[in-house]
Amino acid sequence: MSKSQIDPRGPRFGAAITSVLLLIDVYLSLDPKTFSTAVSLLSIIVTLFAIGAFFGNSKHPYGYIFKRLVRPLLAAPKELEDSRPPQFAQLVGLLVAGIGLILGIAGIPLGLTIAAAAAFFAAFLNAVFNYCLGCQIWLGLARTGLIKA
Amino acid sequence: MPSDLKLAAIVGLLALATLAGLIWRATTGRAKRIKSGLQIDLKEIGAIKNGLPVTKFGEHTTFLQFSSETCATCKQTARLFDELEKTSNGVLHIEVDLTHRLDLADKFGILQTPTTLVLDSKGIVKSRIGGAPKPSTIEEEIGHFVI
Repeated sequence: MSKSQIDPRGPRFGAAITSVLLLIDVYLSLDPKTFSTAVSLLSIIVTLFAIGAFFGNSKHPYGYIFKRLVRPLLAAPKELEDSRPPQFAQLVGLLVAGIGLILGIAGIPLGLTIAAAAAFFAAFLNAVFNYCLGCQIWLGLARTGLIKA
Repeated sequence: MPSDLKLAAIVGLLALATLAGLIWRATTGRAKRIKSGLQIDLKEIGAIKNGLPVTKFGEHTTFLQFSSETCATCKQTARLFDELEKTSNGVLHIEVDLTHRLDLADKFGILQTPTTLVLDSKGIVKSRIGGAPKPSTIEEEIGHFVI
């Protein structure tokens, strides 16, 4: 992961949009008539998570929107933050939403619904409560050897 | 699925996430008393401050903060403790990055960062704060030692 400094409000702004999209996706996935739309929407969300996970917030469309449209309206941030924690959160989002997408395409609608709901949970907590996934689960995963430091 | 049932599912999910967030916010950053009497070995934890190894504990209280590279709130927590170190007598703040010291995470049973151990003047663990500490928690902790 590349190390750079970003405005901490950027990732939370992105998480707010993501959580709304995921909630819509859960809704669409509950009806067989709109399920294919849910799959399409989730594939867009997965693509966005992939951009965030591999290229970072600054290259992300939401990061771009934040920088161009939102940040000029705000006061300067009190401090900048490391870009790695939100990037890790994007990677977790990619994995969870990606599994949901695969299950959805494989014809397991409930799998897509549960994965989208789980991803919504994390994005919502991040946006509203400043919950930081990298703080909560990285160490546990590293200790079990699932990820390497 | 009928649309009012779908809507109920969405509202339920939102309510559940909000409840989880409120519970998390209320419980994170609280101090828990530790009575094991465990003494911290500064050499073992490899504590470094301003480029130099730390050899002494704070005269009254030492806040030993464990951090990781993927932790956004660790930096804010460190700033809070640094500020405290400047304004209070006998307070020392040490930060140890666990990213490449998973052995320490195992030893102290740490699952989340920041996790802060509050030590007395002899380096004995008195309490443990999981998550970003609330300012009121820190005040209480100093009150326990600085009398």
